[in-house]
Amino acid sequence: MHLLRNLSRRKLRTGLTVAGITIGIWALVVFSAMAAKMDSLVQGGSRYYADKIVVTSGQLQSATSLPMHLSDGTTISALDGVAAVVPGISVAFDPTPSAVSFGPGAQIAGQPFGADKGLETFATELASGRFLTAADEGKSVAVIGSDIAKQHSVTTGGTISLRGQAFEVVGVLQPTNTQPDTTVQVPFAAAQAFFFADLPSIVAQNVTASDLAGQFVVYPTKGTDIPALAKQIQAALPGSTAMTGADFDKNIASSVGVFDTMVVGIGLISLIVGGLSIVNTMAMSVAERTREIGIRRAIGAKRRRIVRELVTEAGLIGFLGGVLGLALGALVVTLANDAGRSSGTVLFELTAGGAFTAVAFAVVLGMIAGFVPALGAARLDPVEALRFE
Amino acid sequence: MPLIDARNLRKSYRLSRENTVDALRGVDVRVDEGEMIAIMGPSGSGKSTLMHLLGLLHQPDADGGPTPELWFRGRDMGRANDGARTRARAADMGFVFQSFNLVPVLTAQENVTLAAEYAGSSGSKARRAAAEALELVGLGNRGGHRPAQLSGGEQQRVAIARALVNHPAVVFGDEPTGNLDSTRAAEVLGLMRDLNRTRGQTFVIVTHDAEVGEACDRIIRVRDGLIVGQRHLEAAAA
Repeated sequence: MHLLRNLSRRKLRTGLTVAGITIGIWALVVFSAMAAKMDSLVQGGSRYYADKIVVTSGQLQSATSLPMHLSDGTTISALDGVAAVVPGISVAFDPTPSAVSFGPGAQIAGQPFGADKGLETFATELASGRFLTAADEGKSVAVIGSDIAKQHSVTTGGTISLRGQAFEVVGVLQPTNTQPDTTVQVPFAAAQAFFFADLPSIVAQNVTASDLAGQFVVYPTKGTDIPALAKQIQAALPGSTAMTGADFDKNIASSVGVFDTMVVGIGLISLIVGGLSIVNTMAMSVAERTREIGIRRAIGAKRRRIVRELVTEAGLIGFLGGVLGLALGALVVTLANDAGRSSGTVLFELTAGGAFTAVAFAVVLGMIAGFVPALGAARLDPVEALRFE
Repeated sequence: MPLIDARNLRKSYRLSRENTVDALRGVDVRVDEGEMIAIMGPSGSGKSTLMHLLGLLHQPDADGGPTPELWFRGRDMGRANDGARTRARAADMGFVFQSFNLVPVLTAQENVTLAAEYAGSSGSKARRAAAEALELVGLGNRGGHRPAQLSGGEQQRVAIARALVNHPAVVFGDEPTGNLDSTRAAEVLGLMRDLNRTRGQTFVIVTHDAEVGEACDRIIRVRDGLIVGQRHLEAAAA
């Protein structure tokens, strides 16, 4: 109670200091949420690629790989240590995307039902409806990710237009905060048809749609040396790229590193700006209260107690700024995610841990910044302080 | 055993690199329990410095003469560290200043409670002691007021309540009537005299005011950093 009264002595100054912390913490919250989203995507990818090898043609045509042939899968299957080979296709949801997307953009994907022989461990859960089955092959049905469902305001039983064709939605997935959220799963033949339609005519002339695959997911048998198998695959299919989980983690680590550095940078800037404004506020507050501190010391307040009172006061300023910054950050993150969902650009993920860290950071920052002026106040000579006008 | 027995008290202040002033140049003072003493002298005589040393707000100088001694309740506090002096001030001493020196954002009750807490009393016990002290100075019904809502005389009575809340061995007053009109000054002086007579409360008061001096048991006269005379006033004590 006394603390709040002390803070309210100079409302404008306290308010401005709190505003400074608020802005710093706001920036920290927003950038941390962006980093958290990035991290989720990477983690999802890392989980997906663990213990398997993804084989592509190795040549890229815009965002889509050049086609492979189902016969390539047979070649891979013949190698030692291969338990299953699953051909897969993914094409851009929108062939002419209007917005720059963060992470993988929305996709249409398909693979033959059951080709993984039950080896796939990356599980998704249904929010409603059902998964695709072998009986769906040849039908215009789809299972859609949570972001796609929100973006198109469609749910199980509705229809979604894919490249001008109506597909019945038979299932909607639970959010995963990673790629499946922005993916539409269709029967393999339908995906092959979309892939074929996307091919440049010079490529399309020489292939048939039903022979196409965009990539192969190779499930090694237990105990197989995965990097060695990847090399064998590349040797068997000249020009192909075989990516293992370790390759994925290595490739992605560098780009995540840049992002983490940015977040640390923002944190440091808010630390300096917010910290200095607290030092300033507390130093002025101590200067104004010199006489009062002298009284307290004279009537028996220990130095430790003076330090504790002032540091607590500074911590409270940090706390107020932290809570306001978090509220503002949460608001921005929520609004931006809602606005971005329509274009498949969900940029932020604000976690409870991130929110707690931001407020705790503000409190600790306040206390550290308040410590130096508090120490100065505690060292005041009581007689000198009492003479202070 | 005297309450305070001080010998060879010296204190110099450095005003600039070349300029120091010898505020006290070696004085001996003895204060007995239950006494009400006035320290009087012209401005700059060293009377406030003497009170600051006796009240453990400053330490006497150790160099430049015989070793100073400052016995308080049988313990030499002359070289005690800040922590020990702070504890002694909190538990055994009270202070009343010329300009009241109450904490402006706290109510009268909270100002008094603060001193009890500094002496180690917990929340409810400290509040109870504060209420009793305010009752004692006749402000039992003004505890919820902030200093700005009280008259000068009332503020000084709150300061006296704050000084008394821990039942200290001695209360130091630094011109306690200096900022009051004659009526309020007489009230405050009467209160202190009454507390001295009825409760045996020891007071050491620095003052310019002859009326305050005349109301005390003994006057110590200070000039140029030395004690130049002492006078026992039987009439006041009677």
